[in-house]
Amino acid sequence: MDAEAQDSFREFVENRSSALLKTAVLLTGGDRHAAEDLLQNALIKAVGRWHRIDEPEAYVRQILYRQQISRWRLKWRRRELTVAEPPEAGASPDAAPAAELRLLMRGALARLTARQRMVLVLRYFEDLPEADVARVLGCSVGTVRSTAHRSLARLRALAPELAALGPADVESQPSRDFSPVEVRP
Amino acid sequence: MNVEELVRDSLRELADEQTSTGPGLADRVLVVRRRRRTRRIVSVAAATAAVVAIGVAVPLLDSGKEDVRPADVVQQSKDIAHPDQSPPRELISAGNTVLAAYYIPRTVKHSADRAERVRDYWLLDQKTDKYVKTTQWSYVAVAPGMKTAAVLERNLPASRIGMLDLATGKVARWIQLDHKVAGLSFSRDGLKLVATTYSENPDQLVKMQGSDGWDQKQPSSRTGFYVLDVVSGKGSWSAVKLESDPTDPMGDSFINARQDFALSPDGRHVWAGNPMGEIGKQFYDLTGAEVDVPADQKHLQWYVDAWQSPSGRLVAGDFAGEKWKTSSWVIDARTGEKTEVRGQQLLAWVGDASLIAWDIAKDGKNEFHQRLVKVTIGSDKTVPLSGFRKGNDGGAGRWEPVFAER
Repeated sequence: MDAEAQDSFREFVENRSSALLKTAVLLTGGDRHAAEDLLQNALIKAVGRWHRIDEPEAYVRQILYRQQISRWRLKWRRRELTVAEPPEAGASPDAAPAAELRLLMRGALARLTARQRMVLVLRYFEDLPEADVARVLGCSVGTVRSTAHRSLARLRALAPELAALGPADVESQPSRDFSPVEVRP
Repeated sequence: MNVEELVRDSLRELADEQTSTGPGLADRVLVVRRRRRTRRIVSVAAATAAVVAIGVAVPLLDSGKEDVRPADVVQQSKDIAHPDQSPPRELISAGNTVLAAYYIPRTVKHSADRAERVRDYWLLDQKTDKYVKTTQWSYVAVAPGMKTAAVLERNLPASRIGMLDLATGKVARWIQLDHKVAGLSFSRDGLKLVATTYSENPDQLVKMQGSDGWDQKQPSSRTGFYVLDVVSGKGSWSAVKLESDPTDPMGDSFINARQDFALSPDGRHVWAGNPMGEIGKQFYDLTGAEVDVPADQKHLQWYVDAWQSPSGRLVAGDFAGEKWKTSSWVIDARTGEKTEVRGQQLLAWVGDASLIAWDIAKDGKNEFHQRLVKVTIGSDKTVPLSGFRKGNDGGAGRWEPVFAER
């Protein structure tokens, strides 16, 4: 890597790393330390091909997602067990203030599987259309829709206080694809 | 408000709370990348040496003609340093860990877009305690005990392995092979030798379009490994196929052109790095079937040359840089607990409490201007063992150490 490429890489990191870190933090369910590792590893992979990358940000984001998917593929059984804790009991199902609801939601998001969380981050934080989410995950649009549907249902199960909220658009649509969610490497 | 809106608000709130990555991220990435690249091309022999450098608590073979261990192993605890020498001219050692050889890599250009990385070795002459140059070998692995080295002739991959008698400098025996090999690594007890087979020279370099420098030739031509019995020279070959497309640089199966196998520290498995994989390494049984990584070896990193401590209790880890400007992690193999130790790059264990490492000077500014030092867990002190290396990563005059247990 020559000096010019190194300068361009440094400039990219300086300008874009904070935005990329935000996505990484959301993908890891709020684990800042894991997010920094995720981002650093993605940048290490990207820097090796710096000469040949046309759109660095898109490329790094793609690596972030793919790394997170491959983690999920290896660890999902264990994570499923971790997630399958009983919901916290005793909370009132209504009248929780907005800030409290967001905190509850944050806790529930952290307990989703990495893949469920990724679908929500791509749809609701990155605002990607379903077709683009499907491309990122290497699955069908139907699978994206059903995963989003199940993720929201899971959030409700994890935090019963959310029951007072209205249904999401995606939840009112019939979801036909309930096949096991598989990702092609 | 519906659930979607709350998800959106919660994600944005969490994202907005994040402070920036802080300064130096790009440089940290470049340093790690450079270190891995350096490993890729020039220091596989050093990694091999680390395997042989960690054998202490092993039974000696019956002494006999084929014995690869010395007849008398003398415990020497005194460190022998030459802080004025770089590259070293005279014996360097810490405890029973000896700089058994070193090599200097150079690039031999074959055409405008094709070249080869070759290694010239300097082997320790144990009669004079001086390092003597040899250009005969393309690859040298020194067995624990330093009586024998396994060598490959020039023009890799080679179809035979020489067992070099380090006392006479002559090849005592050749092991002829059906599959060509380019990498060698002894087990820590010196009884087994793993040879990595390739269909092409893994040290070939090519010029890629749009790149100024030389790159390794991809995809890797690695085909599998032999596990050979050192005494009889017999063994079996196992093919190792890559699961997914090895040309996909983001795929799990992307490996370096040279990605050698070695016996695991406990000698029960064969393993190799898998740089783009989820856990960075793959373990196999001795017949080539992939197995789960043993629990006490999950912290091993293929590019951290020191690997596991002689007792197996500790694993040498990556660069730390928290307590000191240059330092590394030592990880408890069982609990994963990390301890910071001085040294920029951990190269070989000296017993269970000390290591030989590369390190820069106290006020050093150039990360490549390193010398060999001895560092000790729980100690602030470093003991210089060699002079400082000159040049930058991949530049001329960079020597790479090969350690072995005395």
